[in-house]
Amino acid sequence: MEFGPIVRALSRNRMRVLLIVLQIGITLAVIANAVTMITANRAKMQKESGFDDDNLLWVYSKPFAEQFNERSFRVTTTQADLRALTGIPGTKAVANTNFIPWQGGGSSGEVKAAGGDGTMYRTQEYVASPGIMDTLNVHIVAGRNVRDNDIDLDPNAKNSTVIISRALEQLVFKGKSAVGQQFIEPDGSVDTIVGVFDKFYNPYGWPIHEYTYFAAGLVARGGARYLVRVEPGKMKDVIPEIERRLLKVNDGRNVDFKPIDEFKTQYFSQSRIIIGAMTGVIILLVIVTGLGIVGVTSFSVTERRKQIGTRRALGATKPAILRYFLLENWIVTNTGLLLGIALAYALNFLLVTKASGDKLDWRFVAAGVVLLWLQGLFATLAPATRAAAVSPVIATRAV
Amino acid sequence: MLAYNARIATKSLKRNPLLTAIVIAGIALGICASTTFTTVRHMFARDPLPGKSGKLFYVRMDNWDPANAYPTSDTGPKNPHPLPPTLSFRDGTELLRSHIPARQTASYFANLAVYPERRISRPYQTPVRLVTSDFFPMFDVPFEFGHGWDKRADANAEQVLVIDHATNEKLFGGANSVGKRLRVDSRDFTIVGVLAPWRPFIKMFDLMQNFVGDPEPLYIPFSLTRPMQIRNSGNSDGWKSFGPTFDDFLASETDWVQLWVELRTPADVAAYRQFIDNYVRAEKSKGRFPRPLNNQITSLLDMMQEQGVVNPALTSMAAMSILFLVICALNLTGLLLGKFLARAPEVSVRRALGATRGDIFVQHLAECEIVGVAGGVLGMLLSLGVLRFIGKLITATSVISLDLEMIVAALFLSLVAGAIAGLYPAWRICTLQPAVQLKV
Repeated sequence: MEFGPIVRALSRNRMRVLLIVLQIGITLAVIANAVTMITANRAKMQKESGFDDDNLLWVYSKPFAEQFNERSFRVTTTQADLRALTGIPGTKAVANTNFIPWQGGGSSGEVKAAGGDGTMYRTQEYVASPGIMDTLNVHIVAGRNVRDNDIDLDPNAKNSTVIISRALEQLVFKGKSAVGQQFIEPDGSVDTIVGVFDKFYNPYGWPIHEYTYFAAGLVARGGARYLVRVEPGKMKDVIPEIERRLLKVNDGRNVDFKPIDEFKTQYFSQSRIIIGAMTGVIILLVIVTGLGIVGVTSFSVTERRKQIGTRRALGATKPAILRYFLLENWIVTNTGLLLGIALAYALNFLLVTKASGDKLDWRFVAAGVVLLWLQGLFATLAPATRAAAVSPVIATRAV
Repeated sequence: MLAYNARIATKSLKRNPLLTAIVIAGIALGICASTTFTTVRHMFARDPLPGKSGKLFYVRMDNWDPANAYPTSDTGPKNPHPLPPTLSFRDGTELLRSHIPARQTASYFANLAVYPERRISRPYQTPVRLVTSDFFPMFDVPFEFGHGWDKRADANAEQVLVIDHATNEKLFGGANSVGKRLRVDSRDFTIVGVLAPWRPFIKMFDLMQNFVGDPEPLYIPFSLTRPMQIRNSGNSDGWKSFGPTFDDFLASETDWVQLWVELRTPADVAAYRQFIDNYVRAEKSKGRFPRPLNNQITSLLDMMQEQGVVNPALTSMAAMSILFLVICALNLTGLLLGKFLARAPEVSVRRALGATRGDIFVQHLAECEIVGVAGGVLGMLLSLGVLRFIGKLITATSVISLDLEMIVAALFLSLVAGAIAGLYPAWRICTLQPAVQLKV
């Protein structure tokens, strides 16, 4: 093998070696950390809510007619709305609720178990009509769903009938069934649990993403809000019909629509920017360093045509020349990669402590190493082939 | 001499257009990436009210549950002092009585119905921000027609209204509508001011909710809350139950009012701190504020940091994009080295004819800088396109563009990149021994 001569030749061209080593090193550091950011954000985006997100439509009735200042009018209108929205062709279910999936928040409060140790648990809490389970496409796993006659329309009513998420059941009742149990709210009102459902995930500012209860009720304050689950692909078709039917019930209002998908897109806009930008950076980096290696190797081949010719004249075969350049590049690449592994961890440390980021996964570093090996091989191949094609006759020419 | 250098450099660049194009494209990519991400970060991080932000303070007091501290986030920025982000209505109103701040505003928003003339538009609901008269000068809100209301309107809860540019376009065709009337919710308002187009990138007066969102289209006096029975539509936090009437709600411990004060000297800050500490102590003796004394007066910039306005991921991306530029520059060094050394015979002739090493060095560095600046300008143009796209991803109306500061920074970066990339190759070529090259 030509290790000796290669290393001696390289040591006479320290700057050239240094350039490539630095490039490869920084490239590996950036790629490994970029992949870490991409996968962390992808994992966030792939978290499932448990709902039929793609086919959910949020409908917001914004009243301006003065009649709506009366609570009883709002309640009867909401009931009429629910009847009008049931059975629209292309829709599967409808619910009146203040819950909006993927809006990056919601409403929350604290509860304790009646007869428990008094620990207060923070949970998301929403009001919904019984259609909520079919609308979200989640299922009762114990007990029963809330029913229309669980809704107490008395404005001074404090107690309510609720269904809770399985995660909240496990948090509060520790493996025992929650059905038939009661929650006590800080103001002393009582929520009777009639059912448990699965699954529920709604990212919240506080670590209560999977905890929630839905209290049977109608939400009519500040405009009625509905969630409608439509058949796949029917979103566009049902919107005019929903608007027509709601305005037929009462036209002293405007109706807004927003697919839950759009809330989700908005919620993840930052993650998408990160993924897009980091993917772009990786691709460009590989191209740029690849071109750099091609350039520098070509230059070193041109510079050494004389020596190559001499070696050929002295009996070196074409494969031997090819091997020389590939090996030379491999040595340089590996030096760069060694530096790169150190840089990758150093950069990751800085990002984690000074900015944001997850710990580097060694597998991403390994994948980066393989990628850059391949890149080095392909980038050297063309110039090295050209080197192998140098004619031995050159050696006989005058200086 | 400079013109001569430039002419030779252009000649040399034209001789190998493909290589020149690759080199310029390389710098352009590096500048584009680094400008784009540093600009995005800069948009969030920059001072939204230069010269003023140090005097604006956000006020918080801990009226939360004695049993449990106000919860902190697990995903967002950590709150170093767990306390509610807003004040209760009663505390907000009481604190407004202080004469220590030069200016002050309590604020929140509510969705209210607006009833324009029927031939112009159907009635519609819109977000309305309730503020005091000081809000407009405090946050440098620009007026197209008229101005904000005065202190008397605050004190008497007058039905005065400020509308934004878009609303004025929609309802009054863009004409001067000051003095016209508009019904909002249950009452008739007189328009006193129309805003000029105004879209701050960061909604600095409401960092608690969507801080990249649009400002509200309508503004009315905060003191109308009680007479009009207006309920807040944004976030509210509560832990203690209250009675059924609207007055019960206003007297409750539910928090939803944001209070900003302008304190011009450190002495004012100290005096104001003393004032709210005394206020809370007095309330404690009436049985309120059961938690330990925890009042926070936070400057606008500190508040932005606490609310995580600059997402740490942006800092990571900006750092990575700068490294990308470094790689592009290293790359160029390699290419330029090859290019310059291939020119050794020509340079040797110039040296033999009397050019000094310095001449040769400057000549080659000039070539690098021309490439650097060309790449820099191209990169900036590219990044304008990318930024427009990213702006739309943040919100439909966010506009991110390069400001003077960023253009200067980008040009400087491209000069530095050109210099760093060119320094070594230029030095190598000027230290060549002409004699060796000239021997035939």
